[in-house]
Amino acid sequence: MKQAAFTNKYLPYVLLIPTFVILIIFLFYPAFESFRLTFYKVNPYSGAGKFAGLYNLQKIFTNPGYIQSFLISAIFALGVVGVGLTISLLLALLLNQKVKGAQIYRSLLIWPYALSPAIAGALFNFLFNPANGLVGYFTGIRTWMTNGNTALFVVILAATWKNLGYNIVFYLTALRNIPRDSLEAAEIDGAGPVKRFFSITFAFLSPMTFFLLVMNTIYAYFASFGLIDVLTEGGPAESTNILIYQLYRDFFVNSRIGYAAAESLMLFMLVVLLTIVQFKTTEKKVYYQ
Amino acid sequence: MKKIMLVLMALLLSVSFLYAAGEQESAVVDESAEVTIEFWHAMSGDRIDLIQGIVDDFMAENPNITVEVQYAGSYNDTLNKVISASKAGNAPSVFHSYEIGTLGMINSGMTVAIDDLAAKFDMPIPWDDFFVPVQSYYKYQGKHYSMPFNSSTPLVYYNKTLFEEAGLDPENPPRTFSDIRDAAAALKKSGIDTPITWNLHSWYFEQMHCLQDAPFVNNSNGRGEELPTKVVFNGEAGNKILDWWIGMYNDGLFMDVGPGWSNHRAAFGSGEAAMIMSSSSDVNLLTKSLSEKGWEMGTGYLPRPEGADGGVAIGGGSLWMTNGHTAEEELAALKLVTYISSDEPQKAWHKGTGYFPVRKTAMAELEEEGWFEENPNYRTAFDQLLDSPETLNTAGSLLGVFPETRAIIQSKIQECYAGKPVSKALDEAAAQVNELIAEWNEVIGL
Repeated sequence: MKQAAFTNKYLPYVLLIPTFVILIIFLFYPAFESFRLTFYKVNPYSGAGKFAGLYNLQKIFTNPGYIQSFLISAIFALGVVGVGLTISLLLALLLNQKVKGAQIYRSLLIWPYALSPAIAGALFNFLFNPANGLVGYFTGIRTWMTNGNTALFVVILAATWKNLGYNIVFYLTALRNIPRDSLEAAEIDGAGPVKRFFSITFAFLSPMTFFLLVMNTIYAYFASFGLIDVLTEGGPAESTNILIYQLYRDFFVNSRIGYAAAESLMLFMLVVLLTIVQFKTTEKKVYYQ
Repeated sequence: MKKIMLVLMALLLSVSFLYAAGEQESAVVDESAEVTIEFWHAMSGDRIDLIQGIVDDFMAENPNITVEVQYAGSYNDTLNKVISASKAGNAPSVFHSYEIGTLGMINSGMTVAIDDLAAKFDMPIPWDDFFVPVQSYYKYQGKHYSMPFNSSTPLVYYNKTLFEEAGLDPENPPRTFSDIRDAAAALKKSGIDTPITWNLHSWYFEQMHCLQDAPFVNNSNGRGEELPTKVVFNGEAGNKILDWWIGMYNDGLFMDVGPGWSNHRAAFGSGEAAMIMSSSSDVNLLTKSLSEKGWEMGTGYLPRPEGADGGVAIGGGSLWMTNGHTAEEELAALKLVTYISSDEPQKAWHKGTGYFPVRKTAMAELEEEGWFEENPNYRTAFDQLLDSPETLNTAGSLLGVFPETRAIIQSKIQECYAGKPVSKALDEAAAQVNELIAEWNEVIGL
């Protein structure tokens, strides 16, 4: 088959210009700027800067609060991804059965995803706040959000719940696409439901699980600060202060521009690293059809 | 020929000098010129309409001035937007900032002091008519930088009905640290689980320094010739406050409700807590929520350690004017903020929000109307304000890194709840803040 070819050598580049203009203005230039600002001390009002070498990075690494925030983010992400994916797979399996009113359940389960993080935070605040939270009332424990450990648990729960709908939708689609004949063949060969799930269903789901793993990790690291802001403001005593929330505070509240730029550089490196690790380790174990 | 030229030049020079001198005394502006200015504020909800109404009245009085009012989000959002706009060269003529941003605004290079503008246009502001704590907060080294707008102080609110049931005198609110403690203990005995609470906010900690007439930062509480270089809240005054606060927590008298402004109100409204501290702008709201349950509410001064003789400082926000505008725009901005601080708008603002009117004449008018007989609890807040002496400490501290300092103090208080000794927590907080101050003082000079 003959491919259509551009006769004009420059036309492809001309056609690419609009995309590149947008990318440069909204992505590359800001990214470059924040990379540059990492090495500057910056006046918060005028924006005037002074080269400071590795000052900001050194500040980050000598700040015990930042190291703690790093660990908390990791625990938070592990919680959100682990708990979130397990529960949503279970719910998707249940939803995939022929039950009366499955469509209604499906819509209801997808609902939380439509909420903004701030609203989700407000809802969990109704449940767990120490003054008049429902959970506090029924359990007799009022310190859910004023104790460091339980507060982290509550924000993980809220972030997981908020993202359930997203995961369920993707798992459901993947479940629908599992070829029926493989399952039937296994059944005829005498494989039990557990064996069938782990050897066939789960294997077919692995590309989707991999995709969701990446998306949920990114969600946990980057999209959850609205929730934290509404629920705990990073407290009590910094126990829910994840990296992205600290970055938000340092830039938008504390106006420490150079320091915040260095923090964003760290987050950027983290994402690069995570992506590489995930691709390297899962490439071998993911089965693509 | 050369001589004639010389004479001409000399003449020209002298004329231009005269002109220049004239301009310095009072700027030549066309007062009736059509002018449009922008005003960004940080008050949400009903207050958006309230401010729009005040500005509409102003425009009706000054038909040549058009004011575009915009709600720009929280104080923080507003500030960030103003900074970006100022860098791009189109900052709003007037914007609203919180009190703790004052030192930053003065040093930001994007604002003009209101006293300078008032002198330029020969429109003096009657500062004597403003309440002392209100105008002294925004005065820095003898000069006012911004126009006080929404002002409040913290108050103690207590449930008179529950006080009576506990055998306490409902007409005699506790005034000192030990009064509060004793009252809380009595309430606890009468069956109230957690008698007192307030939200986790560094504001109370700061205010209790003012009550002790103790500085919060060095260099004349941040108001001296030099920028502050150290915080001093880890001294005797700070320890006294937190020892009392954490002590009540440890003894089960105080309930930790976390940060934010709703939980402590809810606990008070449900009768779970019989006493709270909150902003004086909550008077309406709390009176209402208690009367729904058939309870009566009382108010008292912010408690102080025994023998302390300071007063409260004002909290809230003020209106700032930015530079880089034409003389006509500057004049319009000055007229706008002066109008907003005048009696009628201030009375409407007070009734609509619970913030203080900033002027004594406005208060006198409210008194004449019988407003305080209908709303006796506002009287407490006013009296507390009037009883405050004017010193650099009671004026409130100025600090460039205030938002971050508050976050650090609050975090350390939470560590104290979890068992860290007060003096250690305060020393750690001070060390952290001092590092930030050193950095801020360096970058602000860039």
